[in-house]
This record gives sequence, structure tokens and C-alpha cells, in this order.
Amino acid sequence: MMLLPDPLQKLINALERLPGIGPKSASRLAFFLLRAPEDAAADLADALTDLKEKIAFCQECFNITEAGRERCEVCESPQRDAGILCVVEEALDVLALERTGGYFGKYHVLHGVISPIEGIGPDDLKIKPLIERVERGEVNEVILATNPSMEGDATALYLHQQLERLGVNVTRLARGLPVGGDLEYADQSTLLRALAGRQAMN
Amino acid sequence: MYLNHLSITNFRNFARLDIDIPRRVILLVGDNAQGKTSLLEAVYFLAACTSFQTNVDRQVVNFLEAKGDSLAVARLVAEFQKGNSRHRLEVRLILEPIGSNGKRLRKEVLVDGVKKPVNEAIGLFNAVVFVPQMSQIIEGRPEERRRYLDLALAQVIPAYTRTLSEYGQALSQRNALLKLLNERGGDVDQLFVWDETLSRLGSEIILWRIRAVQELERFAGRTHHRLTNGSEILRLAYQPSYDPLPKPEGQIPMELDTPVDRSNLKLEEIQIGFTERLNQLRQEEIARGVTTIGPQRDEIRLLANGLDLGDYGSRGQIRTALLSLKLAEVEWMKERTGHWPVILFDEVMAELDLQRRSDLLAYLEESEQVLLTATDVNMFAPGFIEQAAVWDVQAGTVKNRSPEA
Ligand SMILES: Nc1ncnc2c1ncn2[C@@H]1O[C@H](COP(=O)(O)OP(=O)(O)OP(=O)(O)O)[C@@H](O)[C@H]1O
Ligand SMILES: [Mg+2]
Ligand SMILES: [Zn+2]
Repeated sequence: MMLLPDPLQKLINALERLPGIGPKSASRLAFFLLRAPEDAAADLADALTDLKEKIAFCQECFNITEAGRERCEVCESPQRDAGILCVVEEALDVLALERTGGYFGKYHVLHGVISPIEGIGPDDLKIKPLIERVERGEVNEVILATNPSMEGDATALYLHQQLERLGVNVTRLARGLPVGGDLEYADQSTLLRALAGRQAMN
Repeated sequence: MYLNHLSITNFRNFARLDIDIPRRVILLVGDNAQGKTSLLEAVYFLAACTSFQTNVDRQVVNFLEAKGDSLAVARLVAEFQKGNSRHRLEVRLILEPIGSNGKRLRKEVLVDGVKKPVNEAIGLFNAVVFVPQMSQIIEGRPEERRRYLDLALAQVIPAYTRTLSEYGQALSQRNALLKLLNERGGDVDQLFVWDETLSRLGSEIILWRIRAVQELERFAGRTHHRLTNGSEILRLAYQPSYDPLPKPEGQIPMELDTPVDRSNLKLEEIQIGFTERLNQLRQEEIARGVTTIGPQRDEIRLLANGLDLGDYGSRGQIRTALLSLKLAEVEWMKERTGHWPVILFDEVMAELDLQRRSDLLAYLEESEQVLLTATDVNMFAPGFIEQAAVWDVQAGTVKNRSPEA
């Protein structure tokens, strides 16, 4: 039986560990890189090295930041309101909220959600540091902005229970109809959730 | 409601079928293994987005089409009339190759040309199906009865399917956590989150089931009384695994045939009670590593004159009870949705005596559209045949015997 040369096999194995990539796509990608012009492979290699060398996680909120900095831009900015924390699943969610230009508080990135099936419990997420931040007393509102999925909701429920006893005000991001969306075309679950989360007009 | 047109591609032994359907009784006549049941299965698939047989969805794709390792597609398209509006419903079953030699079934649904989540398409078109093997609903294991009830509810309550599948997801998460706590220990407080989620979704399912069984029983009891010339009282006894009604402590278990009225229960009461019960069971469930109560363990028993039909019913009794149940489903759906469902009855005549045949046919003539199968058209009275359209089913093709009518 012919064995693949070691470097190729190593690459395939490494690619296979990525989410959403099976053995078939892993070998396809590896052979693509083998055939590709020199700089394509080099670019990728450089990008990967830079990722680990130049990027780090903020020690305060666990958002991504440049390597060597202890805290991210948001955490260091004196303009941001330290009294409000928005709790999100991933750093990408921070980006999405920042793009709105309408949020002036700080963040806390959990790096995932509770999911016993995948073996992920509260201790595997950045929940302890969140509690510690709140315990320091500066925070008066925590906005739970995990996704409206079952696991996102469960994580929010867990956080609510943990934070409530610290006497902080806990809110959950409203879920409802998309702006510019037509009631008629909204899917049932969105509509039901919008109905359940209806608000008094003032 | 009724079908105006049906087209079928690569479904069971139908490679291709394109046919207009009249609004009345249609007799599907043909020898064994020609495709009569398959045609009913196709129509039912449009209502439930699944087969009426358990776990066979991938088997409905035509063998020849599914052979080999390329993509295979079965397609059902129906045009149907519901009250004043006409709709087009398309279901695609796509068997796609994954990995080295596996295949995965994917379903796509289009309503009036627009792609919709499968959960939302269920129940737009309604059908009630009867096939002789369904005596398993009465004789078989509890999951047969739960599946029966779930499929019926899915067509009537728009949010039912989604709630049921979310409940399943919450149950898997909770069971995974119980197992983790059992094997490795850890913070037991984490269970609170899944107790909440499970009881919130579970209480909705329990309440829908309470109401459905009660309403079905009302219709089935009446029909069964008539079908048995007043000799049998049929009862449906819902036995929820988490029973929101307080059990009389320390007493002998309640007799099965004592009707229990749970209809006044409120959703919040059920949810609170469910959570409390999960709390009481916490140590035991951690020890067993599994959730021990909830809709996944519900039971429904059918009783005739107080006797459990699953255990003691004769063949004829079971067949009649099944027919009562199916006719009740028709009435219930009509009451709940405001429209007649399309009725799909497979070989229902064969085991009925003459009197019951003519009673049944008289009832069916009142409905909007019925598809009835038989190997022999003489199973039906000449007067009835005259009123009906007769279709010859042969080797995956259908010919209208009386096209001018
Ligand atoms: N996926 C499939 N692809 C092709 N043919 C199939 C498939 N599944 C079943 N068949 C065949 O389709 C034929 C029709 O079956 P069906 O059950 O519809 O017959 P029927 O007319 O109801 O017969 P009976 O009177 O015996 O009940 C059978 O020969 C069966 O083997
Ligand atoms: Mg058949
Ligand atoms: Zn930060």
C-alpha cells in the first residue's frame, strides 16, 4: 500500500480537525495547496503564524486584541460606560454590535454556550471572570446577548440565575421582527417570539 | 379541502405520474403490488412531510433513482383547494451522497413556489390515512400511539412539530448533563436550566395532548357506538408520564376505565408541577443518568366497554376501533381547521360486513375528497361505483376508467 508523504499526511490531519471539514474535503484542500503557486501556500502559512503571534485575547473581556496588549480597545477606552456589560457568545458578535455604532457600554465574550451534549459546561466558558467583574461592583447592568437558540437561551438562563444574586440588573436582548420585514412573511417562531416579547407603548 | 392536481416523480414505484383529480370519491383499483398504497402514501406525505410508516422516509425514493452513488430526487407536487384559495405545495426528497458510501435524506418544501421550513409546511394540506397495518396503533408499543397522536396534532396545531423537536433537543441536552453528573460529578445546579427548558416545552405538549385525546374521544365514542350498533363504549385514556393531576397518595392505582378529567388544567400549573417533580427526582435521575418522566414516555390506551383493547381486543374489535379512531380524526380535523381533510383509506372495505360498508360509504360521500383502494371493484355497491371515479392502478401507472365523467 502506498503511503502519502509525511508532510502531506500531516497537513490533511491538521485540516481535518477544523470544524465542518471531513476527510474528503481535507485531502482536496491539501492537494489544492500542493498544486497551488508557491505564494498561495506561503500566504496561508504567514497568516496562520501571524494569527497566533499577533493576536491575543483581552484579559478583561476576552475579546480579540493585538498581541502584547493586555486589554482591548473597548476596555481601554475612557469613553465607554463601564457600568454596562454586554455578554456575547463570540468575538464576531462584538464586531456586529460595534458596527451598529449604537452601543457605548463594554463587552464580555463567553467563547461558546453551555451544551452538555458537546461536553461544554459553565466552567468551560468565561463565566467565572464575568462573575468576578460584576462582583467588583462597577457594573450596574448586564445585557445577555447570547443567540436566541436553545443553548443560547439556556446559557442566558444560567447567567441570569448566577448574576441575580449579586444584585445587578440583568436584561436579555429583545428578539422580534426584522426591520423592514413584512409580518406576513415572518416565520412562525420569529412571530411567536415577537408576540411573547411584546412591549407596552409609551 | 381537495386536490385538483397531483404530480409524482420517482416516488416508490411511480417514475412519473401527472393527473387531475376530481372532487369526490376515487376508487383505486388494481392487483397486488401495483402502487395503490404508494399513491396514498404520496398524498399523505404532502400533509405530514413524512410517511405514515415509521422510519421509512428514505425508502420512498424510487429504487432505480436511488441506485448508485449520485444524487437522487423524489418530487411530489400538489395543487389543492382550501376554502376559497388555491395553493401549490411541493415536497422534494433529496438523497445526497455523504462521506465514502453513505447517503443522507434532505427534505425541501415549497409553498406557492416559496421555500419554507418543513415544520411550517406541515398541516397546510390535511389528510387522514387508514391502512390495515395501523392496528399497531392499538396493539403495538406505546411509541406507535405517541406517533399517531403526534402526526395528527402536527397537522392541526401549527407550532406542535417545532415544539416537539425542541423538546427532543432539550431532552438530549438534559440527558447528556445527567450522564456527565453521574460519571464525573459537578455542579448539580446546572440542571435547573434544563429543568426549566424541558418543563416549559413539555407542558405545552402535555396540554395539547390532553385536549386532543379528549376531543378525539368525543368523536370516536360517538362513531364507535354507531359502528357497533350500540354494543360498545370506546374510551381513549391518556396516561401522561408526568401527570399534572395529584395522585391520591397511598391508594391503589386508579382503574383505567375511570375517566380522568384534566381539561381544566392551566399551562402554568403543568409547568410548575413538572419542574417540581423533576426536582424531587433529581438524585434518582442523576443515579440513572437519564430523564425518567415527560411526554417521551406518555401512553394512550384504548378501551372498549372498560376492557383494554391492546391486551384483550379481538381482531374484529381492533379493526372497528381503528376505523372509529380514524373517522374521529377526520371529524376532529374538520372541527379544528374548518375544512374536510382528504380521506385516504386503504383496503378498508375488505373486513367490514355489508351493513358497515354501506354506512361507511354513505358517510364518505358527504366529504369532499376520498381515495379508496381495493383489489376488486365489486367490493363496492354498483350505485356507489356510479358516483365515484374509478382509476386502474397498474405497475406505477394510473388510468381513469371513466375519463368523460
Ligand atoms: N422505493 C421503491 N422504488 C420502487 N418500487 C418500490 C419502492 N418501494 C416499494 N416499491 C414497489 O412498489 C410496488 C407497489 O407497492 P404498493 O404497496 O403500492 O402496492 P399495492 O398496489 O398497494 O399492493 P397491495 O394490493 O398488495 O397492497 C411494490 O411492488 C413494491 O415492491
Ligand atoms: Mg396496498
Ligand atoms: Zn476587552
